Amino acid sequence: MTDAAPELDPVIHAQARLRVMVTLNTLCEGDEMAFPSLKELLGMTAGNLSVHLSKLEEAEYVRIVKTHKGRTPVTYVAMTRRGRAALEDYTRAIRALLDTAGGTA
Amino acid sequence: MTDDGERVPSPEETLRVIEQQRAVTNRALQPDPLRMYVPWGVAWLLGFTAFFLHYGLNGEPYAPISQMQALAVLMIAQVAAGSVAAYEIARMSSHTRGDNQVKGTMYGYTWFAGMALMIVIAMRVSPLLPPELSGLLWAGGTLTVVAILYMAGGAVWLQWPMFFIGVWIAGVNGLGLMLGAGWHALLTAVLLGGGQIAAGLWLWRRS
Repeated sequence: MTDAAPELDPVIHAQARLRVMVTLNTLCEGDEMAFPSLKELLGMTAGNLSVHLSKLEEAEYVRIVKTHKGRTPVTYVAMTRRGRAALEDYTRAIRALLDTAGGTA
Repeated sequence: MTDDGERVPSPEETLRVIEQQRAVTNRALQPDPLRMYVPWGVAWLLGFTAFFLHYGLNGEPYAPISQMQALAVLMIAQVAAGSVAAYEIARMSSHTRGDNQVKGTMYGYTWFAGMALMIVIAMRVSPLLPPELSGLLWAGGTLTVVAILYMAGGAVWLQWPMFFIGVWIAGVNGLGLMLGAGWHALLTAVLLGGGQIAAGLWLWRRS
């Protein structure tokens, strides 16, 4: 019997969303990132980023907070605990794939 | 294919993407060493060289610079360095909000309180001291506040380079205070001014 390949989380397994998750994961718990900063760090368009963020929000991996700074609406994004755990599992699965690919030859 | 129709990257590629994105984010969210350390290094190198030339090592000045002129050089250079650092801190904190920003605000007020109290103590005590010792009180006291706050900043943000620069400032300051005003100015200019420039450049090359 061979070991089954580890399952990869389909929500994270799209490069754009993986990069969103990695960026938000560098923040400490209790911190949120401004939407324009996230957009700039990822080099994505606002529309594209919004689509990916709603998929991540649906999976409860990120939390989106819409608020106001004076009269300007501002959006902040933070990673949830569930999101951090999912990214950790995903990274572990990728490493395991690498090990099986390199270790059983 | 993923559900977005992207080509599935290999595990190696994926790990590389993770590492690259983490590096890009850290660079944006952490202070640029060129802006945080090098301007302070230049300020201390210029200011304390002026003080060193004023005091000399054997009580004889090496150049006709008054204590007020040396102080003016130091203060102007420090205000410039402080402005660059404030700009850098504002740039970093504009990206995020939350606990980290609260830490930054408390830390900013701690600097203000430390420096303000240091100035009050020095103003009360320095009229009672001979000029050389009063200069040592101002310089040594200020560097003590800076050293402690660098070490504390290292603890708050788990930044080892910041902590060790604080340790370095504390050590050189202590040694200079024991040796006298001329030596204190010389050691501060070379080891702390030059040292911060070197540390800033080294950290920048590594980042």
